[in-house]
Amino acid sequence: MSETRPGDAAPGAAVGGERLLEVSGLKVHFPITRGIVIERHVGDVRAVDGVSLALRRGETLGLVGESGCGKSTFGRAILRLYRPTAGRIVFEGQDITTLEGAALRAVRRRMQMIFQDPYASLNPRMTVGGIVGEPLDIHSIGTRSERRQRVQELFEIVGLDPAYAVRYPHEFSGGQRQRVGVARALAVNPDLIVADEPVSALDVSIQAQIVNLLERLQAQFQLTYLFIAHDLSVVRHISDRIAVMYLGRIVELAPSRELYDAPRHPYTVALISAVPIPDPAVESKRRRIILTGDVPNPAAPPPGCHFHTRCWLRERLGNPAECVEVEPQLRVVSRGHEVACHFVEQVDRSVEQIRAIGHAVNPAAGSAGTGASQDPPVPPQRPMAPAPPSPSA
Amino acid sequence: MLLSVRDLTVRFRTHDGTVHAVNGVSFDLEEGETLGLVGESGSGKSVTNLAVMRLLPQPAGHIERGTVLFEELDLTNAPEASMRDLRGREIAMIFQDPMTSLNPVLTIEEQMVETIQAHRRVTAADARVRAIQLLGMVGIAEPASRLRNYPHQFSGGMRQRVMIAIALALEPKLLIADEPTTALDVTIQAQVLELLQRLTAERGTAVILITHDLGVVAGMTGRINVMYAGYIVEAATTPELFAKPRHPYTVGLLHSIPRLDAGSDEALIPIEGVPPDLRLAPVGCPFAPRCAWRTVQCWTENPALNPVEPGGSVRTTGPEATHRIACWNPPTADEATAGAPLRPGFEPAPPPAGSPQATGPYVLPVAPGNAEVRSEEGAESAMPGSHGFPESPGSGSGR
Repeated sequence: MSETRPGDAAPGAAVGGERLLEVSGLKVHFPITRGIVIERHVGDVRAVDGVSLALRRGETLGLVGESGCGKSTFGRAILRLYRPTAGRIVFEGQDITTLEGAALRAVRRRMQMIFQDPYASLNPRMTVGGIVGEPLDIHSIGTRSERRQRVQELFEIVGLDPAYAVRYPHEFSGGQRQRVGVARALAVNPDLIVADEPVSALDVSIQAQIVNLLERLQAQFQLTYLFIAHDLSVVRHISDRIAVMYLGRIVELAPSRELYDAPRHPYTVALISAVPIPDPAVESKRRRIILTGDVPNPAAPPPGCHFHTRCWLRERLGNPAECVEVEPQLRVVSRGHEVACHFVEQVDRSVEQIRAIGHAVNPAAGSAGTGASQDPPVPPQRPMAPAPPSPSA
Repeated sequence: MLLSVRDLTVRFRTHDGTVHAVNGVSFDLEEGETLGLVGESGSGKSVTNLAVMRLLPQPAGHIERGTVLFEELDLTNAPEASMRDLRGREIAMIFQDPMTSLNPVLTIEEQMVETIQAHRRVTAADARVRAIQLLGMVGIAEPASRLRNYPHQFSGGMRQRVMIAIALALEPKLLIADEPTTALDVTIQAQVLELLQRLTAERGTAVILITHDLGVVAGMTGRINVMYAGYIVEAATTPELFAKPRHPYTVGLLHSIPRLDAGSDEALIPIEGVPPDLRLAPVGCPFAPRCAWRTVQCWTENPALNPVEPGGSVRTTGPEATHRIACWNPPTADEATAGAPLRPGFEPAPPPAGSPQATGPYVLPVAPGNAEVRSEEGAESAMPGSHGFPESPGSGSGR
């Protein structure tokens, strides 16, 4: 059935180059209302607040952030499961921001979603075969026997016995259910799959099965993934590039290796430092940056840089007014590496950065074309305002 | 010796049969030690500690066998009155979800004062002063006014701080923290772990940290017990366990989690299959059906937890604790690094004919003893032996 896909480029031909999805200035605000009969609009939860991103065909873009940062809302908005408040979503050259009805359904056939909770995302009253075949029914693909055959094929593709198609979701374990969810997403031969925390509900020994399955399917079907997760280790493993989100905005975008080797945004540095590494030898060399407080309320985000209320760097620099007054824009610091921070130069090779990753910054990763500060990669510290020992103490 | 658990065996009676939750677990803990209990959902790590506290869900759960000596007192047959006195004062517990472990209809003040007054003869006013002190200690701003708030007015991280404050209110000798940060974001997790580590180190509180996250125990504990299907399968000091893992399950876990600091070509080696059905009485090694190193013996005989290096005396506690594993055919150091058997021609032994594992995948409804199954972690535990699905497409020849 794979040849039924319209406009399908030669497999593998365009990997790397062509832009599959382009999002610019996307905002998704949820209104807060008061009153029962007359609903007064009293504010907005700014879940996604001006995000621009592009996905190249065949790549995996990881989207990380803490709960409430808007990463799931972004993922759903590009599938048009939410109506964007502002901005543009362009899928293969077609503006889909305001599509409706049949035109929208046609586009949705090209993009599918894998959900976090394999218990809640499968209809308990349908057989798993019915669940996997439902997208084919919705899009009226093939005859009944062709669909049945396609379902069998999909079961084999995701590593399930096709004989199980007549069973119900409760008869499967979490990992097997997630395979069913993957098979459903694959059914209509999509180009883009938005995977929203696809492994976080699974036990550790099962997570790797699903991660490997997703990687294999990507190679097999030239899929493009938007991989949304809070677990930086999993995201770094599977992604080509990673975008870090904080309070509705992207604060850093980098090739995944470089994001760990040379994080440039103070929030990314703190996030990386907080991720425990399963190796006591490495752990003893790292020092955590303990951010104070919680993520601010997205209904009333702080002005200027959203992160300034918790930023360790701002404190060190003597609380410059710029952070509060001016919203930092993403700017390129090296090839493919963009950061939204006014003082990004102060982060590179700072004590905090080195302590967070547990070893000196890889000079190759950091210097890929910045040209700015290329003194030999000797001192672990850059001269700076009298550095307090560390905010983590 | 602060705590000494011997041959602890816990069963749950359910409609679908007996769940073999904990199968003869023994471990020791000295004062001030930090011990990690690592395992997946259903491994028995939480049940072990609920049994220590005598808080097993009633009437299904019961301790079938074994002793739990806490400072020479056997907790398995201590009268309920002395258990009640002990809980909170001597052994405190922190749970995963601070929203469900705090009472939503009482203020933080009422809950803290109640805890303090239950164990100490102090006036309500004095208890309140102590509560303010404790909240300040765990880093909650304006503790005096926050005391009048209800749990829902706190964020997840702050609720867990409140739980820590309550747990440490009576200066217990042992703190059992059951997945204390699993529900929290990673930056908040860092805050809470740092707090937990600092406060328990200052007071010399012994800690049992229960978690599925190998990263968390790596930085937080001195010793680790790895649990699988109700057994301790590997016990070692933390540096030793990560440097020289010797049980196939530990090796498998370490290879199946991506590391943040790994090279880009890191390949994940998943552990195939799913955990065993705990309703079946264990035959052979519980990990055998998923193990890449299994031999014929593994299917029929369950190995005991024995020292890796035979001979010499066995130390169960402290930084010199003996490295022990329960395995007939442990991976060599090279194999542990590679994550797979390297012996030429070695194939995992097929299940013996007629064994329950040999009947092939058969899937039954999830049902039994799910007292501890959490929605977040999935219910892999409850799934029967449906191991061995073909991983590669088209390898199944069922059609």
